[in-house]
Order: sequence, then structure tokens, then C-alpha cells
Amino acid sequence: MPSDISQNLPPARAHKRLAAVVALLCASSSLAFISVATGKPQRAGRTSGQGLPSQTTSTSPESQGLPASTPSDVAPVPSQPTVTPTKGHKTAADRSAGQPSSSRGDGSGRRGERGSTGGQPSSVTGTPADGAGSTVPAPATRTKTHAGVSRKHAEAGEGPHAGTGEATKGRRARRASQTGAQAQLGSTSTPASTLEASQPAASKVRPGRHGGGSGHKRHKEPKETPNEPPARERTNDRRVEQHPRANAGTGALAAIAPAGAPALAATTATAPVTPKPARTTTAASTSTIRHATPRAAKHRAPDAPAPAAPVAGGAGTVTGTSGPARRNDRPHARPRSAPAQAKPSQLVKTITRIVDVVPTPVRIIIAALLALALALGARSRLVAVRARRLERQRSQLLEDVGLLQAALLPVTPARLGPVATSAAYKPAAGPGAGGDFYDLFALADGQLAVILGDLSGHGRGALAHTALVRFTLRAYLEAGLSPRDAVQTAGAVLDRQLAGQFATVVVATYQPRERVLTYACAGHPPPLVLGASAPHDAITPITACSSPPLGVGMRTGTRQTVVSIPGRAQVCFYTDGVSEARLAGGLFGGDRLLDTLVELGPQASAEAILDRVVARTDARPDDMAACVLSIEGPDGRSPWVLLEELELDREDATSELTERFLLECGVEPEEAADVLGSARASTGRAGTVVLELSTDDGPPQVSLRRDHLAYLHARRADAGVSR
Amino acid sequence: MLKRADKTQHSPPDAGAFAIARREPDARTSVISVEGELDLSTAPELKWTLLDAREAGHSRLVLDLSLCEFMDSTALGVLIGVNRSLDAGSRLAIVCPRANVLKVFELSGLDGAFAIFRTLEEALAQAPQSGAQAS
Repeated sequence: MPSDISQNLPPARAHKRLAAVVALLCASSSLAFISVATGKPQRAGRTSGQGLPSQTTSTSPESQGLPASTPSDVAPVPSQPTVTPTKGHKTAADRSAGQPSSSRGDGSGRRGERGSTGGQPSSVTGTPADGAGSTVPAPATRTKTHAGVSRKHAEAGEGPHAGTGEATKGRRARRASQTGAQAQLGSTSTPASTLEASQPAASKVRPGRHGGGSGHKRHKEPKETPNEPPARERTNDRRVEQHPRANAGTGALAAIAPAGAPALAATTATAPVTPKPARTTTAASTSTIRHATPRAAKHRAPDAPAPAAPVAGGAGTVTGTSGPARRNDRPHARPRSAPAQAKPSQLVKTITRIVDVVPTPVRIIIAALLALALALGARSRLVAVRARRLERQRSQLLEDVGLLQAALLPVTPARLGPVATSAAYKPAAGPGAGGDFYDLFALADGQLAVILGDLSGHGRGALAHTALVRFTLRAYLEAGLSPRDAVQTAGAVLDRQLAGQFATVVVATYQPRERVLTYACAGHPPPLVLGASAPHDAITPITACSSPPLGVGMRTGTRQTVVSIPGRAQVCFYTDGVSEARLAGGLFGGDRLLDTLVELGPQASAEAILDRVVARTDARPDDMAACVLSIEGPDGRSPWVLLEELELDREDATSELTERFLLECGVEPEEAADVLGSARASTGRAGTVVLELSTDDGPPQVSLRRDHLAYLHARRADAGVSR
Repeated sequence: MLKRADKTQHSPPDAGAFAIARREPDARTSVISVEGELDLSTAPELKWTLLDAREAGHSRLVLDLSLCEFMDSTALGVLIGVNRSLDAGSRLAIVCPRANVLKVFELSGLDGAFAIFRTLEEALAQAPQSGAQAS
């Protein structure tokens, strides 16, 4: 359909359509221009002195007239002028003696004039000097690179002035801006701006670019200068270098400053008519010259070099030669410049014609699109910046988490004396993660200690408390307390600190010389102890009268079990995350864990066990942690329980639970009653009493003894703990 | 409160037939019955139900776990928390005939912290304002 419409459309409509298309293209090209301008000018400038200016020039003119043309189209431009620049360059090289080429002389002279017209003599002298200087250093210092530069400049500048022209142009512009140019600009401002608008928005950019480029070159220069011998020049060079540097910044600024507004004008393509007047006014600031130049350069490219070269010889170091040179060149320059302008102006005219046809709503739409594009561009940039920042933060966080985890999960030794040890931890994937902890270390007296626990809370909040519990217990063990005493003391101490959370723990020590394992649990499943003929010789723990967890406000650390391990054995400590892992039919459970241990054999590591649990279960809602001691020794001698300890207070002594405990231990009911009776009597006097059941070969021997833990009493508020 | 109790109807599907019901046999007693599994995902509901009952001014809380198939340490933590929030001297009465759930209480050493009964009638008959003896 659209095609049909376009065919059938009346010319006016067709125009409109065309205008719309052009406008869109304009928008896109201007976008490209914006992106180029805002993108990474510095980098571009560095990459190639040529590339940038050419691009800018290309984009800007095209933005006005030839939206379709891309930088590639522009590329030819540099190639054309190359002729002139090379000559300019040659002249410059010739002039390495310190004499500015005629063209430069012209350029500088003119500018000088203009500067003078501006009314400030100082500027005049300054400009030519700059021009000469700039040109001088350029050839001398920038051997090859400079050639390129000069070419560009040549393109940009008037034909004859080519090589020097550009250098001077930039400086001139800067000069002008610096000194009295403002006044000139003020006077000529309208034409100049119009010129800019009409011709090369690029030109405005170009100076900026140029400045950047030259600055760039300047940077390069210092490196190269040392290689280049001519002493005379050097003095000039230095001068020049200084000047350009000084000027470069300002020049670039000056160039850019005007560029902004006119550039916009150019994009709208309203400006074209004015170029000629600007041209004619000699007073026009240097910028106008610059603008005019590029096209002139293209046109004259072939012609320009010839005049330029001869003049070069005559050119004085400063402005001396400029006079005659000017006269000669001017006639050429002006007429040529006029046609040069004419061409673009035609183009521009056609564009303006086209654009004029564009109805206001379309313009508005274009403007809106432009604004939208700008907004989107800005947004994308913002997003990119944010993304980078977030990425940085994320990596930092991960590092922190790694550190934290390392701090909370100690590196355990692979072997402690005759015991191979291993520990493993698998945090849950869901909200249950982060409550388990373990520690595995050697005590000063050669015993081996294990701490494994599970904090009721989960997540980040639990981390601090897991560390607290672990280190508290470790400190008491290091201080010489037995596991039960450590748990009891920690329970009293941590009750308040855990602030509503509670922790289940198992604390154990292994005495390798006597081959005795002592462990105490607080609300935690007891370890699995298997001998060589597992699972038959696995110890069945007595769970009656287990100690409550730390932090629930109850007296804990009341139970302790001492196991003799005469032969090869395996002790597996685990958290309830392991036993409560889910199977299709229910819980994994301690029995299946025992089976797993048997399957994996006596050398199974904690990691392997947890891996097997993961493989065999469907879901693991809680953390899983495990510590395994593989104790070497002769086969055939199974572990057995040496001693069960239960601390009783007065209330316990009357409890059915205590009686059940005695019965589970194998005490005859009558004896149990007797024991309870005497225990009640003892607690009446001393507060607590420890019930010891020695199961050493044969029926259990029950004995009562006073609690020996008299040297550590936690500070406590009377009301706090007893509930 | 009813709102929260109602929430139990749309508890996660993997929890099986989990449900919490609350009734008030008398002005100062709340009986909360739990059916299904008490674990990480369902424990919060139990907590809110219990706290609602407590805030309603019921001094006697009876938790009926007769139909509870399984209870993990998270649920145990909830019970501990509620138990501690009760007035001094009173304990949460728990009806728990199932061995596996009883074992959880026993292993954790918390069977002394609650008043545990075999049947609901027993609990209602005995659960006094102040702590009943665990049976």
C-alpha cells in the first residue's frame, strides 16, 4: 500500500513524504552526530588524527544535506585534499628552517589582519607567530603523523594555506577568542554564526576536534621532538608548542562554544542562506574562515599547492612575508572560496527547500523523536553505568561473603594424630540456610575436640550467633572443661545473649592415648559410633533425659556419655538437617544415615557422606553439617559405653523421666527406685547431684557424686534461667 | 485470628494435608489441633495461631498433635518461643500420642519443658493454669 500511495500522491504530498523521510534521516544522522560528539571524542582523536576530523566534518555537513552518507562517504574528502596537504607539509618541512610557508603566511597574515581588524595589535602579532610557529613545529616534530594532520587541515583550510592554515586556524580561532576576537565576533557574530550554521556544523566541531587532535599531536610531539635535531626550530618549536598548548584549550573551547547553538541550527537546516555575507566580511572571526575553508580546499586541492610552495621560501618566520603572500593569495582565495561556498549552499538550499515542505506537526514529531532518542541514549548510558556499579558491588559482596564463610567455617585439619578427620557443610538452598556450625581442633593436652551445632535461626541473623556459640564452647573446652561442663557453662552464659534464639550442640573430646570419646549433647542428636563390624556394633544412644538446647532458659549440660573405642571405629557427628532431609516416604533419619556410613566404609569422609545424603534424598530444607572421626585400630574390638552421666536437681530427682533413663540404662526397677531416693536426699542438701552409670562389663554400676563444677558459676539474674 | 486460622486452608501443597484448627472449649482455654507435618514451611502458621490464642486472653493453651505426622526442629523452636512467652509458671500443654513426635521432644531434651499428655481429655482434665507434670 504505501508504495501505491507514494506513486499516486500529488507532488505536494510526495514532497511531504520525502520531507518526512529526510527529516527522519536527519534525525538519525544528527543522532549519530550526537553520539559521535558525546561518545568518546578523546579516544577517537587519539586513534587517528585524521579519522576524527574527517568524521566530524562528514557527519555535520551530512546532517544538513546528505543524511544517507556515512563516514565512509566522507572518507574521500581527506583523500582529495591530500595533495594540498602533502605540499603544505613539504613546505612545512622546507620551512623547518623556520620560515612559514607562504600559505601559512597568508593564513597567519590574514588572520593577523582580522585580528587587527578586531582592533588588537597584540593579537595580530600573536596570531602570525602562532601560525608560523604552529606550522613549524608541525613539520619538524610531527614527521609522518603531522603530514596527516596537515592534510586534514588543508582540507579544512583554504587551498593555499592548507598545511599551515589549519594549524593556524585552530590557533587563530583560539587567539581570536582569547584576545580581541570577542569584539570581532560580536560584530560579525551574526554572519559568522550563520555561516557556521549554513556550512559546516562540522567546522565548529572540527576546531574542537582539531584542537583535540592538535593537542593530541602535541602530546605526541614531545616524544618525537627529541629525535628531531634542528636546533633553530626547536626554539621556535618550543615557542610554538607553548602557544598552541595555551591556545589549544581555549581555541577548542571557543570553537565548541559557538558550535553548539549553530549546530542545532544546522540540523534544522534553516541557516544556509547566510554564508556569503559571512564570507565577504573580512572581519568575520577566524571561525568563519575555517568554515569556509574545507570546501575551498577540496576545490582547489590541485591548484593550491603550487602557489603555496613557492611562497613558502619567502615567508619570514613571523608575519614579514605575510603581506605579499596575502595579496597574492587573497584574490585567489576569495573568488575560489565563493564558489566553494556556493556549492554547499546549493545543496543546503535544496535541503532547506525540502525541509521547508515539512509540515510543522512532522517537525514536532521529529523533535519529539529526537528528544526521545536523546532521552533513551542518556538512559541507556545511565543504566550501563549503574550496571557496572552493581557488578562491582556484587563482586565485593561475594568477597565479603566468602570471607565471612571462611571465618565461620574453619579449615579443619585432615588428620589429628591417629585420627583422620573431616568436616563438611551444605547450606540449604532456601530460607533455612545459615544455621549450622562446626569446629574441629586439637587441645593442648593432645585431645581432639569437636563442636557441631545448629542455631534455631537462619540466614544472616544467625551467623553472628553461630560464631558466638562456637567460640564460647571452644573457649571452655580449651580452658579444660569436660564437654558436659562446657555445655552447662555455655548454656548459663549464652541464655541471655542468644536473645530468643536457641542452639542445639554436640561437644566431644577424644583422648587418643586412652582411646576414649566423651560427648555431651544439648538438644542435639548424639553422634553415631560404629566399630569395625558396623552396623551391628553401633552404639545405641540413650535419649531419655537429654539435655535441652542452649538458650531456651532451661538448665542444660546435664548429660554426658563416655565411650571406649578399643578398635577401629568411626564417629559421625551430624545436624538434624541430615536426619530431617526428605525422602519420598518421609525423613531420611538416623538409621539411613547409619546405613550410608556402613556403605561408604570406614574411610568415608564427611563430604562423601553428605553427597550421598543429597543423592538419596529429594529435598533438604535445612542446612546439613557433618564431622567424621575415623579412628584407626585393630578390628574385632567394638566400642562400648563406659559411663553415662546425668546431673539431677531436686525436681529431676522426682521425675519419671529420670526413672525412665535409669531403666533404659539397664538398671533394675527396684534399684532405680533406691537410686532416685538417695538422689533426692542428696539434692536436698547440695542442690544438684551427678548420677554415674558405669556399664563397664556387666550390669551398670550406679553411683552418686557431688557436682564438681564449683569453680565456674555464670552470673545470672535469679529469675532468668530457672523457668 | 480467624483470618490466620483460615490461611491454613491454602498452605503449600507439598505440606500434604496440613491444617490448623482452633477451638475454645471454655473461656480461658484454646485447643489448637495440627494435622499434617510441622516443618520449616508450616511452623510459622503454628506460631501465629498460638500467639493469637494467647493474645485472645486464653491462659490455657493445649496443642493437639494427635494428627501431626512429623515435627522438625523449626516447629520445636516455635513451641519453645511460645512456651517462654507464657506467664511464669504455666506451660504449653501438648497432646502427643505419636512415638516419632515424642522422640523429637525427648531427643531435644525438651520433654521436660512442656506438659505432655497422651490424650486430649487427659490434657483438658489436667492442664492447669500452672505447669502440669509431664506424664
